[in-house]
Amino acid sequence: MDGGAPAGEIDKTIVNFIRVVRGADVRVSVAETLDAVAVVNFVGWEDRDTLKQGLGLAVAKTPEEKNRFNACFDAFFAAVADNDDREDDDDRPDGPVETDDKLAQMLLDVDQSELMVAMEEAATEVGIENIKFFTQRGLYTQRIMRQMGLEGLDAAIREAQAGEGSGQGQAQGEGGDPCGQGGGEAATLEAARARLFEATRDLVEKRLSLYGSETSRDLREGRLRRSRLGNLDRRDQEEMRRLVAKIAKRLAALHSRKPKRRNRGTLNLRRTMRRNYSNDGIMFELEWKRKKIAKPKVMAICDVSGSVATVARFLLQFLYALHDILNDVRSFAFSGKLIETSDFFKRHDVDTAVDHIMNAVGYMPTDYGHSFENFREQGFLDDLDKRTTVVILGDGRTNNTEPRADILKEIHERSKRILWLNPEPPPLWGTGDSEILRYRPYCHMHREVNTLAHLERFVNELVHVVKASS
Amino acid sequence: MLEQHTAKLADIDAITNGFAELGYICSKSIATAIFIAGNLEKPILVEGPAGVGKTELANTMAAFMDLPMIRLQCYEGLDEAKALYEWRYAKQLLYTQILRDKIGEVLGGVETLAQSMDKLHQHSDLFFSEQFVAPRPILQAMREEGGSVLLIDEIDKADHEFEAFLLEVLSEFQVSIPELGTIKAKQKPFVFLTSNNTRELSDALKRRCLHLYVPFPEAKLEQQILRARVPDLTDALMQQLVAFVQGLRELDLKKHPSVSETLDWAKALMLLNASELDGDLVRQTLNVILKFEEDITVVDRQALELVRMSEKAVRH
Repeated sequence: MDGGAPAGEIDKTIVNFIRVVRGADVRVSVAETLDAVAVVNFVGWEDRDTLKQGLGLAVAKTPEEKNRFNACFDAFFAAVADNDDREDDDDRPDGPVETDDKLAQMLLDVDQSELMVAMEEAATEVGIENIKFFTQRGLYTQRIMRQMGLEGLDAAIREAQAGEGSGQGQAQGEGGDPCGQGGGEAATLEAARARLFEATRDLVEKRLSLYGSETSRDLREGRLRRSRLGNLDRRDQEEMRRLVAKIAKRLAALHSRKPKRRNRGTLNLRRTMRRNYSNDGIMFELEWKRKKIAKPKVMAICDVSGSVATVARFLLQFLYALHDILNDVRSFAFSGKLIETSDFFKRHDVDTAVDHIMNAVGYMPTDYGHSFENFREQGFLDDLDKRTTVVILGDGRTNNTEPRADILKEIHERSKRILWLNPEPPPLWGTGDSEILRYRPYCHMHREVNTLAHLERFVNELVHVVKASS
Repeated sequence: MLEQHTAKLADIDAITNGFAELGYICSKSIATAIFIAGNLEKPILVEGPAGVGKTELANTMAAFMDLPMIRLQCYEGLDEAKALYEWRYAKQLLYTQILRDKIGEVLGGVETLAQSMDKLHQHSDLFFSEQFVAPRPILQAMREEGGSVLLIDEIDKADHEFEAFLLEVLSEFQVSIPELGTIKAKQKPFVFLTSNNTRELSDALKRRCLHLYVPFPEAKLEQQILRARVPDLTDALMQQLVAFVQGLRELDLKKHPSVSETLDWAKALMLLNASELDGDLVRQTLNVILKFEEDITVVDRQALELVRMSEKAVRH
């Protein structure tokens, strides 16, 4: 419906926009891109409000994605619109200065729109959308300026300087300079060149923040995945939380995707016959065999004592994410004693919940035996059944107290499986007061987990275990 | 799309007004979604908290377009026999019993087994023909001549397999019945899917739909909704009520009151002949808007304060 621009150009804008949106971690498939193009063709470019909402419908598919999409839309179309209606408050030369260089002419022109258009064109020409890292800023700035004809401008500046150098009075005498400020021409051009540089770098930076976010995010995520959880900076926490949520979501998907089995299809002959006695044995009404749908239950027990303090917050975050996506999750935290924390997670946002828990039971010396006793005393053992997966997060360091592995054995017998995530690397297992080797026989899986990469691998392995066992 | 449909969906304002006449006050984003989805003939996946009018949106759409509304309520264990079609087994059986004598007649002239088989083969598809198909909501929607509004409600309650099964319906507007072949929609239905987000839907499903998120309405919109739905309500009470409910949504509650609860509350207050909110009245009627004991205790303690706040909001 947009008659003005040629089709190819529309596609390029929308494709670039989709790339930007993808960079903001919104998953956009090819089919959705086609939808977006259909929306653009239908709504047109003029009505920005409708366009924004329409594209949002086609592209962003969760509330969070919608937020990110809206931010992208505003940034992207502000950048595109920049060149039309940029009010330039730069100090400008008062009078026109005559030069024959096209770029210089544009720079000195009072109306800057032509310059901005040229800059935009040059940027497209050098492929600004390929910019990835902030180290490439200088390179792209230079390329754009050269594309716009920087050499001509430099030549003009040199010429003007030479002219001034050769004879100061000459210019005025010949009347060649209509402004009567011949001495200023070189300076004016120099200033214009500096302004051009600023403007170009500005443009490049804006584009970098649009197009580069994808790559730098990948880099950052990669680093976060590999670094030890204890060594992370506070400022990475937000990012970390997102990644943890991502991994927890995978785990949830595994749970909800039950192995394919039919819950209808085979005839239950015995029940059918019984039901149809009254029909003279003619089987009018059929009875099918049905499978009961098993809903998985998860119970997570998290050590938050001093020895695992650095990773405890992270483990709790993982628990929080689990709560968010699985229905039937109960969580417990312990160090000296054990408390149920499900309610904290349900009622508060992640930071508050984690703080509450750390205040309630955190940083005390661990007593696994006592905590397991607590678990039994409070009757949680009775809530275990053959559908329950028990996840224990902890290092198994008991401060030389009785480990009470017998209770873990009991848990083992009553639940479907026990998974133990240990923040300690394998060489430390069983050293000092670590009783992990006595707990280990009762765990279906026992893994070192102290980076996100580990957590991810654990979740992947779990997928196979679950598949194999069902 | 039929011409009368195109005319009705011509622009966003027409949709907003048409819906308003039917008592559904929609925000710009909802109207835009209807506008685009209707014209591009794409299904809409509507998400949002319970009670913000997701199902009502489809109902209103049906009334607005003057089309039959076909609703499929999803639940765990829903399968294609309940959603798409089923063979009328009893009817098939009954017919075979009745036709037993006829078969003798049909086979009367033949002598060899092979010949009777040939004869029978001429009638082989008799019992797996359209007469014996019991259409379920999706097939029904495909068969409507003039188009229809198909609401697949609470898709998040259904299983993954069912989601996968829906994909063909949503992208091609056709269904495959092995015995009959592929049935294409006579007129593409307007499809609404709703979800309360109890679980994450698959990407494949989301990819095929436009996604509309309906949040709790802003104060102004909620007032308009109240005015449309409970016209006898006085302005003062309405403003106070909306301000109060909006205040509740800021609190840390298990379940926040939704539009449907606001409407119920307004109706209850009308019955009680209330002219303005006060602490006692709020306490007595709190169970209309809050559905959890804990929430009621939390709000009960702060009731007076909230009433005061809502009064202040009205004066401003």
